[in-house]
Amino acid sequence: MKQGVLLFALNNKDVDYVKQALFCAKKIKCHLHLPVALVTDNRNYLTKRFPFFKKYIDQIIDIPEVNTNQTKRFLDGVYSIRKLPWKNHSRPDCYNLTPFDETIVLDADYIIGNDSLLNCFKLNQDFLIYRNPTDIASTLRKIQKFDRISDRSIDMWWATGFYFKKTPFMKMYFELVQHIKDNWPYYRLVYQIPHSTYRNDFSFSIAIHILRGFQLNPNWPIKMPGNMYMASDADMLHSVDGDKLSFICDYTSSGGYYVGVTVEDSNVHVMNKFSLGRAIDKDKEFANE
Amino acid sequence: MDDRLEKALDFSNLMITLNNQRNLIHEKFLENCVHYVNGGKFNVNRDIINFCHTLIQNGQKSAILLDDNNTPIEVKELEDFLDEILSIYSKNMNEYLQKFNEIKKNRSVEGILNI
Repeated sequence: MKQGVLLFALNNKDVDYVKQALFCAKKIKCHLHLPVALVTDNRNYLTKRFPFFKKYIDQIIDIPEVNTNQTKRFLDGVYSIRKLPWKNHSRPDCYNLTPFDETIVLDADYIIGNDSLLNCFKLNQDFLIYRNPTDIASTLRKIQKFDRISDRSIDMWWATGFYFKKTPFMKMYFELVQHIKDNWPYYRLVYQIPHSTYRNDFSFSIAIHILRGFQLNPNWPIKMPGNMYMASDADMLHSVDGDKLSFICDYTSSGGYYVGVTVEDSNVHVMNKFSLGRAIDKDKEFANE
Repeated sequence: MDDRLEKALDFSNLMITLNNQRNLIHEKFLENCVHYVNGGKFNVNRDIINFCHTLIQNGQKSAILLDDNNTPIEVKELEDFLDEILSIYSKNMNEYLQKFNEIKKNRSVEGILNI
């Protein structure tokens, strides 16, 4: 297959990434009309819980289940925090995993609302990746933690969504990302990252920095087409109505002040996985599949 | 609470929502005003429309244009290119106006959010 979308779904006990990936795939089929491959460590769950999956998933790619010790704090609004296992280890393997020559890789919690990503195939580039997300409540707050991988370090690029062609250069890039992952305790010190948790956004950003010749090179990589709207994990997705997403956003650093936000026909990264799961359950169209 | 203050605070809440939704539809307008051609990406705005128009007025049939990623892109059919970007600009400006008016006429948070 020539062009397609690769999704990852590795559940933990509280977050159903498989359900989110299926919802994401449904939106991809609706707006991008591309084949979708799903990387998962739990094919049984997918096939039994969602018997209609073949409508949206063209290929399942099995990977072995890894019991990671890595945990992450997951917010569900400002006041609810859960510490859960975070299985993000397989993203650097996407060069070997993808069945496509040209691949768009997306997080399962990225909701597609338009066809702007089809322009990836028009840009004649090996690699495209998101740089600056558009905060859905940007008039009310400035989330600075997403501009750089740490306060005194390099630009942050988002592994939430990227496009690549299978070329020798991209093979080198992903091998470098894998190397960074394998030597994470070293690289996180060099790049002054306070948290020990491995994060794909960071390793992708470090690999970009290295391949740029350790410079602020504005010519590579090129940004993904279209906007990536972002709702933080302190925000709550209230409802999904077709391509209209309604959020309740917290806009103070102390928490407790909220504003309603509606986003239509846009690609939105919903970082609050719990509220995304609830909104998908409430979506009658999806529930009645 | 003093009625005068309560009314003002209600309006203040409305303005927060209104301002944010206006910003989102502006972002959407900018996102849609993009044209991809020959491997290049062009933000469609008044500058590029006027520049292409000037080139055509000076008798040029084709041109090399610098795209948003500082890549020189050869445009062989300049008039077709101008037609395309004018169409993109007009379509999206119309949509922007429509959404802007929808938001403007609403005087409640629910109305602005269309929920």
